[in-house]
Amino acid sequence: MNELEKLFTRIVQRVNINLREQAFDTKPYVWDLIPKSQMTKFYAFYGISPDHPLNLQFRHSGLAGSYFLGKIQVTNSLLYKTDVRGDELKKKGTIFQFDKFKIPVSKDEEIVIEDSAFVKTLIHNYSHDPETPEKFFIKDTISTHYANIHGSPSDGCFLGPFSTVDLTTMRDSVIGTYSYVQAGEISHLRIDPGTVWVKSPGSFNFLYRYPIEKLKTYISFEAGKLPEGLFIDFVESRKQDFQRVFEVVNIEPATNVPATSSLDRYAVVKPAMEIGENVLISQRAYLENSYLGKGANAQENCFIINSRLEGNNVTAHGAKIIEADMGKNVFVGFNSFLRGRPEKRLTIGKECIVMPHTIIDIEEPLTVPPGQLVWGLIKNKEDLETNSIAISELSKIKTFFSKGNMFFEGSGADFVSAFQGRIHHILEANGAFFNSSDNSGQGHAQRNQNMSFNTIQPYPRGDEEGLFPTIMIQP
Amino acid sequence: MDKYLIKDLMVPISEYATVSEGATLFEAYLALEQAQEEYDHNKYRHRAILVLDKNNKVVGKVGQLDVLRALEPKNEQYELFEDIRKYRFSSQFIMHLREKNLMQKEPLTDICRNAGQIRVEDLMSAPTEGEYVEEDTSLNTAIHQLVHGSHMSLLVTRNNDIVGILRLTDVFAAIFHTMKECNLA
Repeated sequence: MNELEKLFTRIVQRVNINLREQAFDTKPYVWDLIPKSQMTKFYAFYGISPDHPLNLQFRHSGLAGSYFLGKIQVTNSLLYKTDVRGDELKKKGTIFQFDKFKIPVSKDEEIVIEDSAFVKTLIHNYSHDPETPEKFFIKDTISTHYANIHGSPSDGCFLGPFSTVDLTTMRDSVIGTYSYVQAGEISHLRIDPGTVWVKSPGSFNFLYRYPIEKLKTYISFEAGKLPEGLFIDFVESRKQDFQRVFEVVNIEPATNVPATSSLDRYAVVKPAMEIGENVLISQRAYLENSYLGKGANAQENCFIINSRLEGNNVTAHGAKIIEADMGKNVFVGFNSFLRGRPEKRLTIGKECIVMPHTIIDIEEPLTVPPGQLVWGLIKNKEDLETNSIAISELSKIKTFFSKGNMFFEGSGADFVSAFQGRIHHILEANGAFFNSSDNSGQGHAQRNQNMSFNTIQPYPRGDEEGLFPTIMIQP
Repeated sequence: MDKYLIKDLMVPISEYATVSEGATLFEAYLALEQAQEEYDHNKYRHRAILVLDKNNKVVGKVGQLDVLRALEPKNEQYELFEDIRKYRFSSQFIMHLREKNLMQKEPLTDICRNAGQIRVEDLMSAPTEGEYVEEDTSLNTAIHQLVHGSHMSLLVTRNNDIVGILRLTDVFAAIFHTMKECNLA
């Protein structure tokens, strides 16, 4: 057994120890997920920009195909094609508001990863844990394909494929396949696959649970097997296009990009794209034959194909939009899968909120009226009726209501306000409101233009094969 | 209270309602009815049936709540409501969901069919450690066990054999009787 295998064994054991109360053995799920032979094949890379602090420290870790930006420490960990994006970390001297607390940030925040393994995971945002405002920690944690760890410190957790933990500190918990959790803090919890749970303590609680048999068509994950389903087939079928952008050193943009917009060189762009002002296209995004209006964005692992986004559209990490027309200010949450058909398009009216982890997969044309909140599995008009509500109606809810597999308790107005506030923040952070005449409202779309990339390589052979030497990268 | 002994207050197991494993809910009811007819020491009715294995050892107890729970209409939604508790919904909301669900059903419509089909072992609860009391233990200790465990009765043992049932109602009557003798008026 070489060092890389010993390291993986050690990580699996540490996570299992944390999850012993739940008798959850991660090994049968993950042992074949991190292809040890692949760990030597891919370089890792990092971004340099005048707009972000730089302090990268890698020790005794495998980093194949992974990307780093900002202040990040990685120790005793294995990262495979994982993005750790520290472009929203808190800066020294700022104030972190948490409930009634105004917390001064005493030094630049850092992402600290220890004894963990990730496959094709996105780590982004900043620690929302008021107890560790300067340290976004992730330890003794394993996450699998296309999971998102978003502003969520983690200790002793397992995340299934296409799961998302958002703005939540998690400890000793299992997050099921395609589950989304935003609950502030969770501990010793096993989240069932296909759960969408958004809770703001004392304010509201939203829960939707997928019919598990129907979800299996899209994604399933069993011990001893690789993740399976339409989601995996969908991304695998476009893998070749990504290989090209990662293999070529100097790549020319395949479309015109306005000066106020940014197209990451590690995104795939296929004809015929039209990109408006203040648009952000992140790495590992896939765009084909689509229109992105002013202020729209496509975040990591997004796919936008044969679609129109009219402007100020948030397409969150991992969302997919195919054969669809999206009105202005439509929010599409993490890992959602929206698929119309040629000549049978999906239309989503302006100012709709598509909840994270929503699947709309239609065989006949479908129109979602403006100003709706939609969630869950929607395959036709009847499903849409069950899995949607006018945002204006939801705002009136003061106690509780349920619809189909969805349960809501608390203040609808608070829920709507929280979502709308967050959407506004995302657009602002992404530079959607940038004004070139006075240079105000700069965000990622403008700052990312000042980015260059360097690569680093692992040991090619020997006991340390696949691991990277200790590397410190500082200004 | 010292004058009361557990063995004086308990119902001997021979006078209590018992059935064997495999009995139906209806057979359990018949056993309860028969035991009540034969046991006429006071007006308090038996409220539970003991389930015995083939060696006549007590393996479970069927109480009134167990029966109602078994007869209550259930469906997938019912299970779902219980399951969403872990996602921190309030008890009030879960109760509301249950009531809404129950209104769509006709409660207890299948009572006759269920009574003949449900086996006692499907609804009995196995006695927990705190439900046993030795017959020579003080009544004060038995009262503590009843209160602490919110039990309706305790199984009274002699050398590990169950010899009787100490019912809450009999303990309560003894306490009232003691109060009466205090001549507080």
